Amino acid sequence: MTVILRAEGVSKRFGGLKAVDSVDLELNDGEILGVIGPNGAGKTTLFSMIAGSIPPTSGRVLLEGKVISGGSPRRAVRAGVVRTHQIVRPFQNLTVLENVMVGAIYGKARPLGARERALEVLDFCSLRDRAPQLPGGLTLAGRKRLELARALATEPRVLLLDEVIAGVNPVEALQMTDLIRSVREKRRLSIILIEHVMPAVMRLSDRVIVLDAGKKIAEGKPQQVVKDPRVIAAYLGESAAAAAPAQPGSGSFPTPASGSGPASHPTPPSNPTPTSTSPSKKGPGERP
Amino acid sequence: MKLLPHWVSRPALAALVAALAIGAVLPKVLGWSVYSQNQVTETLLFVAAALAWNWMGGYLGQVSFGHSAMFGLGGFISARLLLALHLPFWIAWIVGGLVAAGYALVWGHPTLRLRGPYFSIATIGVGEATRLVMTYWEDLTGGSSGLSLPITPGLKSELYWWALALMGAVIAGSYALRKSTLGLGLLAIKSDVDAAADVGISPTLMQDIVLLLSGFTVGVCGAFYASYQNFIEPGDMFGFDRSISFVLMAVIGGVGTIIGPAFGAVVFVMLRQYLIGSYPQLYLGIYGVLLIVVILFEPLGMMGLFFRIARRFGLLRPEVEATLEAKAAVGGAAADPGAREGGAP
Repeated sequence: MTVILRAEGVSKRFGGLKAVDSVDLELNDGEILGVIGPNGAGKTTLFSMIAGSIPPTSGRVLLEGKVISGGSPRRAVRAGVVRTHQIVRPFQNLTVLENVMVGAIYGKARPLGARERALEVLDFCSLRDRAPQLPGGLTLAGRKRLELARALATEPRVLLLDEVIAGVNPVEALQMTDLIRSVREKRRLSIILIEHVMPAVMRLSDRVIVLDAGKKIAEGKPQQVVKDPRVIAAYLGESAAAAAPAQPGSGSFPTPASGSGPASHPTPPSNPTPTSTSPSKKGPGERP
Repeated sequence: MKLLPHWVSRPALAALVAALAIGAVLPKVLGWSVYSQNQVTETLLFVAAALAWNWMGGYLGQVSFGHSAMFGLGGFISARLLLALHLPFWIAWIVGGLVAAGYALVWGHPTLRLRGPYFSIATIGVGEATRLVMTYWEDLTGGSSGLSLPITPGLKSELYWWALALMGAVIAGSYALRKSTLGLGLLAIKSDVDAAADVGISPTLMQDIVLLLSGFTVGVCGAFYASYQNFIEPGDMFGFDRSISFVLMAVIGGVGTIIGPAFGAVVFVMLRQYLIGSYPQLYLGIYGVLLIVVILFEPLGMMGLFFRIARRFGLLRPEVEATLEAKAAVGGAAADPGAREGGAP
């Protein structure tokens, strides 16, 4: 497998806070890479650096050997890396079709045939019958598909999806999972996926990396990673890591619907053996 | 049959050509007095200026209270050229417009990174600073005693057709800016500047281009106004109420619509004529009241009313009206306040 996108020692410091701390990442051609971690772990900041919207404090991101970080989002989009937003940001004043046309026109600076290309993408994302509507009339799942369609219209090589599944109902979540899979299969894209909905991450990802407090703490196959004590500790606190290695993936992970992350997630209070294999893990309440 | 780009609607083009043709013969047909013809000339001029202001304030959502800076600069540069070099007036206008556009870029390139009210506040500063500098820069502007231009016999009545041509060009420009692929980019920036950047738009570049075009056009209007008035002075050309008048025309007519500000300019010029004649102490106050009334009851001004009436009579389908209103609304979220709720926390 060839590496298409590589992040080398990427860091971002906001004042005294190291939001992302020296993260290395490789994305293979045609791969779906999951990025998980508790809220505030630096996932979205990492995305913003890869997509060019914020410059890294140190380190760089390369697409097929060409540096794309530290410039403008436009540089990244022209090179072939595009992101979606966790909180959907459709252009409210444009119709669904026009939203996607903006991506088709400006992504590669190719105004010719933008309408036809946008319609094709809308077809792909099952939004074609919504083309003349304003995005305000779509459901949340519809707006998330629109966000994806607009990104696809820029004709990227690498797609960065920031929580496109979280917050929609289970049926829509399944549809979105299928859509992401067909993006990879039919459009031959490589995908990095931030997601809190664990079953979807487990099913979609070839590989997963785990961020906690800005650092990469684990990497590997999804099934291995969720059993990693450091990962469980990061999500649920140290005591849980020792007590419940089998829990991840079965619904005990914090999801956006259940509150705002580890701090509000009930840690099993009475744990007989509070030992941990991980030497320097923080408790859940200490995270920013 | 590929003479026209696909976004040009034939009926719209035909309507514009017909309107300009009728306008061209109107003074002769109706036998206007000199006074009436001058009034119409001035109105056409401000239609052009209001539309050019709308490219910034309506299309991009960057409301400028400093466009008098370009209006005045265009006026004084062209006046100086006419006095010193005796150029043909239209060359002086274009040079005035170019200088105004250059000046717009100088202050606009840094301030256009500000959004919404912050940009507007910055433009107030730009407008007032320019007015003060120009008032004391006597070598250029003649200070508070102003400049008198050489009088060309017959020019004033000829200016009517120049104004008509200028307005026609600006209307065509307004249409092209909104309907072309560039227009989609502008609307995207107005709605969400960061999301626009994330799909490959360069907001800085696009905003600079629009400000250049707007500054050039308003500069040409200022130069035209100088030729029309024969006498200009900085307090009038660079005054804050000059800037406000552009905002008012656009708001009355319909900010962000393609043609609304043109109607707004017509109403504004007539209203000003009447108010200055009848209530000289009150007219600024009445503008203020008018502004509040329009923003409260019909944010899209006269165009909003037209949309409503057209829908009432079945000429405009509700969803088409919704789309038109969304495009015109200043700030994308204003079009649909509920649309942002939901999403991941």
